[in-house]
Amino acid sequence: MPEGNGMILAKEEENDAEVRREDQDKINEFGRLNARLYEVRDEISSLKKLLEKIDDASTELMMGNGDRVMLRLGEAMFEATEDEATEFCEAEVERHQETVDRLSEEESEILERQAELKKILYGRFGKSINLEEK
Amino acid sequence: MSTPASTTSESQSDEKPVANISLESITEGENSRGIPTTKFLDDIETFANSFSPPASPELLIGAYSDLYSKFKAYEQQLSQKSATFREKLPEIEKSIALVRHLKKKKEDGGSVVTRYNLADTIYAKAEVDCSQGIVNLWLGANVMLEYTYDEALTLLTSKEILAKKEFKEVTEDLTFTRNQIITSEVNISRIYNWDVRRKRANLATRSS
Repeated sequence: MPEGNGMILAKEEENDAEVRREDQDKINEFGRLNARLYEVRDEISSLKKLLEKIDDASTELMMGNGDRVMLRLGEAMFEATEDEATEFCEAEVERHQETVDRLSEEESEILERQAELKKILYGRFGKSINLEEK
Repeated sequence: MSTPASTTSESQSDEKPVANISLESITEGENSRGIPTTKFLDDIETFANSFSPPASPELLIGAYSDLYSKFKAYEQQLSQKSATFREKLPEIEKSIALVRHLKKKKEDGGSVVTRYNLADTIYAKAEVDCSQGIVNLWLGANVMLEYTYDEALTLLTSKEILAKKEFKEVTEDLTFTRNQIITSEVNISRIYNWDVRRKRANLATRSS
């Protein structure tokens, strides 16, 4: 038997509204969005960490004295000039920043849609439904 | 698949045969990759009575709980598959970037000095002559093949496309399975509530 939140409602709090198919669809959509929200948040945080690393690397590059630096592509490292390396870092930063921006946008869209759904579902079911984070 | 038929409810006599709930009766069709779709119960009363004899709530809840656990297990599998793809895709992309870099170096005419992984903690210096235009790709199963840069790029990009397509399918399946899980959960809660109300109503009519 799946675990609910174990809430037993008092008689007055019970809600007799029947669950219709469109309600079920909305509940499903909410669950789907929630799962996607976690994924998006995970991706954003790992990309942010990566961006930090690249930033640190760029700083090191600028402070560096030589003009031969190692660039790591895949499993092997290649010698490169400081300029090449800086160029590479900048391109990477741009690429990842774009992805982070796109994901942040998706995150706020999801939250918006979830707020809408919450209003509708709470309106219909009151306390009989729980849409909060654990 | 049918649930074991050995439950009794208070209003039924002991010899009455109990309904057999098969998988077909609680699901309706399947998605394109064979995952069954949970039947959404518009009206629980009608649904319970559609069995002969009428199915008891315990039986229904049992059947849906079974389905729920199956979906949960499948969701686990799919999540793992999805995680594997999330790891594999960046690797393929890195390889593509590498080959492109080599190709560019070839066009520039230079050679590349690299440090490669000789052993776990040791890197060895090597000079790569890019004019050859040859790269070796590890295909798995202890097989490594030689390719020109262009051939390598073609192979790697097609691998990437295939991986992305499968990843998309796995994601779709995951979404679908999650929907079924939620629908089953809601069905179970509704059946339970319906049963509670029914018993309450019975109690009320008995005592009046």
